[in-house]
Amino acid sequence: MGLKRVIKSRELTVSLVMIGLVIFFSLSSKRFFTANNIRNILLQVSSIGVASIGMTMIIITGGIDVSAGSILGIVAVVLGKAAVGGFPAWLAIILGILVGLALGSVNASFVALLGIPPIIVTLGMMSLLRSLTYTFLGGRWIASLPESIRWMGLGKILNIPIPIWLTIILIAYFSYFMKYKSLGRYVYAVGNNIEATRIAGVNTKRVLFFVYALAGLLYGVAGAIVVGRTGIVQTNTGNNFELQVIAATVLGGTSILGGKGTVFGSLLGSLLIALLSNGLILLNVPALTEGLIIGILILGSVAIDVIKNRGEE
Amino acid sequence: MKKFLNLMATNRSFFLFIFLIAMFLVFSFVIPEFSTIYNILNMTKYGVEIGLLAFAETLIIISGGGGIDLSIGSILSLSAMVIGVLAGRLGMNIVLASILGLIAGGLCGAVNGFFVSFLRMPPLIVTLSTMYVYDSLALLIAVDKWGNPMPVSNFPYGYFFIGQQTYFNIPFQVIAIFIPLALILHFLLSKTTFGRYLFATGNSEVVARFSNVPVKKIKFSVYVIGGFLAGLAALIMTSRIASARPDLGAGLNLQAITIAVLGGTNIMGGEGSILGTLMAIVVITALYNGLQLAGISSIWQVGTLGIILIGSAIANIILSRKYSSVE
Repeated sequence: MGLKRVIKSRELTVSLVMIGLVIFFSLSSKRFFTANNIRNILLQVSSIGVASIGMTMIIITGGIDVSAGSILGIVAVVLGKAAVGGFPAWLAIILGILVGLALGSVNASFVALLGIPPIIVTLGMMSLLRSLTYTFLGGRWIASLPESIRWMGLGKILNIPIPIWLTIILIAYFSYFMKYKSLGRYVYAVGNNIEATRIAGVNTKRVLFFVYALAGLLYGVAGAIVVGRTGIVQTNTGNNFELQVIAATVLGGTSILGGKGTVFGSLLGSLLIALLSNGLILLNVPALTEGLIIGILILGSVAIDVIKNRGEE
Repeated sequence: MKKFLNLMATNRSFFLFIFLIAMFLVFSFVIPEFSTIYNILNMTKYGVEIGLLAFAETLIIISGGGGIDLSIGSILSLSAMVIGVLAGRLGMNIVLASILGLIAGGLCGAVNGFFVSFLRMPPLIVTLSTMYVYDSLALLIAVDKWGNPMPVSNFPYGYFFIGQQTYFNIPFQVIAIFIPLALILHFLLSKTTFGRYLFATGNSEVVARFSNVPVKKIKFSVYVIGGFLAGLAALIMTSRIASARPDLGAGLNLQAITIAVLGGTNIMGGEGSILGTLMAIVVITALYNGLQLAGISSIWQVGTLGIILIGSAIANIILSRKYSSVE
């Protein structure tokens, strides 16, 4: 039984695919399996990985959040403007993250308190926030960011970059949280049967609110990482970010129907996508085919999953 | 008054109609040139392409089971590039190229439909993946002989009548394509067995299956129809702007979904109408036009769309709690 579950688990499938890819890319390109390149891949993973924690929880509750990229965009703008405007770096970063939390709470209020379907709320927020980003920036870039603000992206502790630390700590904590904390268990319960959970005495509105608000906070952290790493804030910062995060989450085995999924799986999903896009560049595959390959990969892996789990409903 | 509010709460088309009148009054006061016949007729052409995509989303969302098509804008891009490359670069007959463009759209829809209905995969995942795939394919076929994806603009002159011709100021694509299609789709949904089956499937797939409704075929066909509509929108758009670009449909997927939902299509499936979506298209087109004439940056078009979407959802909840007699 235990072994069967491991074999059937998505984490294993994704891990095997990843090992296969690593071997393939290492054999095909001398530049792939180098410390420098691996660090690049991990840095690329960090922002998607951190955001995917929130997305995973949201999807487990049976929801979706397509406003992630727009929230990240606003966070980047606030952070950039604050830093250029003379705020100390730590304050600017905290401010940015708080803006993420606030916007997540707006989503949370509409979804949890008013009961509006998540796709509608976050679609609306996505459009609105994207327009706000354009307005705040007025079509210009913020490129002259002070070096101190880039700490979240470039800083190092024990020679390991901050984003990697953040990813490891957050993933580890929230894996624990989802498995052993009661609020974490409620997230699964809400996704499996919200009505039964409510009748069992759980405040389901509170659970939903928590999930969307926390996701906003994590997009804020991801935004600080992205700004730190790239050192630039553009109107299209965070464009399509939500799709990458959703792709990583789903690739990692979170069921879009809710009730099933793990934070760690989503990290593996993020890793797989980053690995693939990095490896393809090293192999000189035209960048235009990247979407093609990622799309087919998601389709294929979910199709296999669906076929494998037939008759278990 | 109570009856009026009750109707507002229960009938989305009526709600949008009142909203439209209010908006018209405001815009007419603020902007003198808004309510001229020329402007009103001319703006209709901007609603056609996004309108066709919104119709596609309406059918797909009604089919239920999380039905949604994130790839609809990418299908538009790909179809546009198929037409552009075949006619502009390879010199194929434009009629043949247009037909192949439509078929490409239908095929893309069929791929979505296959995964959704026959493999029973969640539509969100399927169309998210195919969105990447179709966008990528559109870029790949747009690559010119120097290896860069480039737009195609050398269409034969005769092609432009689809998107640029007008009769008494009424755009060709509105009277010859959009209005007939809206009527056909309305008929299809409200008067045919297919329509009944579609709503039955969206309301409860299990019940529909036990009632001998060919659920899989129904679901498959809405995605195919959606693909064709996107192909048609591509045809009209490339003709109107006289150019095919691989990013023509970028961002249109979410706008189309927004309009369908604004028109009263229930995101959970089983509920929606062509009339409602049509009203939403008219509202949004007039809104975009009014904002543009008022000199508000076009960036705020999408932003306002977002506000209206959330606003209408809230209004709907408040109205239906207070006034709806339906439990």
